[in-house]
Amino acid sequence: MTDERDELIARVRETLRAAPAATPDPRAVAQVLHAVWESPAPSLWQRLVEGWRATAVTPARATAFAGAALLIGFVARGAMAPADEAAPVMAASGTTQEFPVQTVANTAPADGMVLTQFIFEGKARSVSLVGDFNEWKGGESPLTQLEGGLWTTSIALTPGRHVYAFLVDDTLVVADPRAPKAGDSDYGQEGSVVMVFAR
Amino acid sequence: MDGAVPGDAAWRGSGTAGYTPRPVLTNDTPTANTSIDPMLPLRAKAGDRQAFAQMVDLLYPRSLRFALHMVGNREDAEEAVQDTFVRVYHNLSRFRDDARFEPWLFRILANRCRSLMEKRRRHAAVVQYGDVPERGNAPSETAERDWTEEIYRILATLPAEQREAFLLRHVEDMAYEDIAAVTGVGLSALRMRVKRACDVLRARLSEVMQNDR
Repeated sequence: MTDERDELIARVRETLRAAPAATPDPRAVAQVLHAVWESPAPSLWQRLVEGWRATAVTPARATAFAGAALLIGFVARGAMAPADEAAPVMAASGTTQEFPVQTVANTAPADGMVLTQFIFEGKARSVSLVGDFNEWKGGESPLTQLEGGLWTTSIALTPGRHVYAFLVDDTLVVADPRAPKAGDSDYGQEGSVVMVFAR
Repeated sequence: MDGAVPGDAAWRGSGTAGYTPRPVLTNDTPTANTSIDPMLPLRAKAGDRQAFAQMVDLLYPRSLRFALHMVGNREDAEEAVQDTFVRVYHNLSRFRDDARFEPWLFRILANRCRSLMEKRRRHAAVVQYGDVPERGNAPSETAERDWTEEIYRILATLPAEQREAFLLRHVEDMAYEDIAAVTGVGLSALRMRVKRACDVLRARLSEVMQNDR
């Protein structure tokens, strides 16, 4: 019997796949993203060291690399420090043709909340936003109707991962078709995920 | 090297911090072995933070699971995964457009796990999962839990290179070609590592089952 078809190995596989880490953890993901955004870009020196470790070592390469590294380290260390990371571009709404339903963060209130815009496209008498940020209460965050079947609202959210959906005509819960689906919607129905980044 | 990436192009720093907070369309919910939309890494590489966030959201569970099985405790696993995503973010410019993202990610992650295991070797023999799900006290549930813990124990005793190859092949469902890209080891050696890991698991678990009868 091959390992691929071995029942015992199959049980091991299922057991290991069901490890606690197999379910998404919004807080952990938010923590990772925070670490990523806050992490400084590696300096040129670090890049050179990493490149050195990745390269097969020969005496000639060692000599050449050491010389180059020393030269850069002593002569140009200050000049080659990484530039400040460009400020995040605050996006306006994108092309509605490509993403007729989209989520756009556009301003940064002083209290750390991020004003986040949601857009829904479709025929409806009323649309409101429900999610973990308003305890999934319909009517708390109504969308305003625009031209062309577009509905929009902007609400202040705390940075992190949020799950949301649209409540259409007070009865139908609709996940945002253009946003990633949430596997952990606390409303018991399909939800969507929006990542809100601190400014 | 921890952040080694195949097919490096010239590094251009992290000045692509542009943020387009636009949800990225994906076909899958974040299930255990979700593959990401191949456009996501390219968009992240172009500076789309939302795309990168989406990749983290989708791949965090798999990454943490792999790291947890490799290093054996959650704290180190979380550290390895976080460090991996930081490195991935700062090296996106070196990711080849025609490459597949998961092997690239897992290569960096596997390197981070190896480094952590080396750094904390004194803990290597201690299984510290610590969070095997509580499933009640019914005999069948207790037996299931014992079985799970037994698998964790045996897995932790495997040589790291066998454990790594086994996890990538049988838990992460990677093709041997992709595992070769992750580990830098030849296909025949990889097959041998997986086979040996399977042999040990099979023999030890068979013993456990015999003793339980």
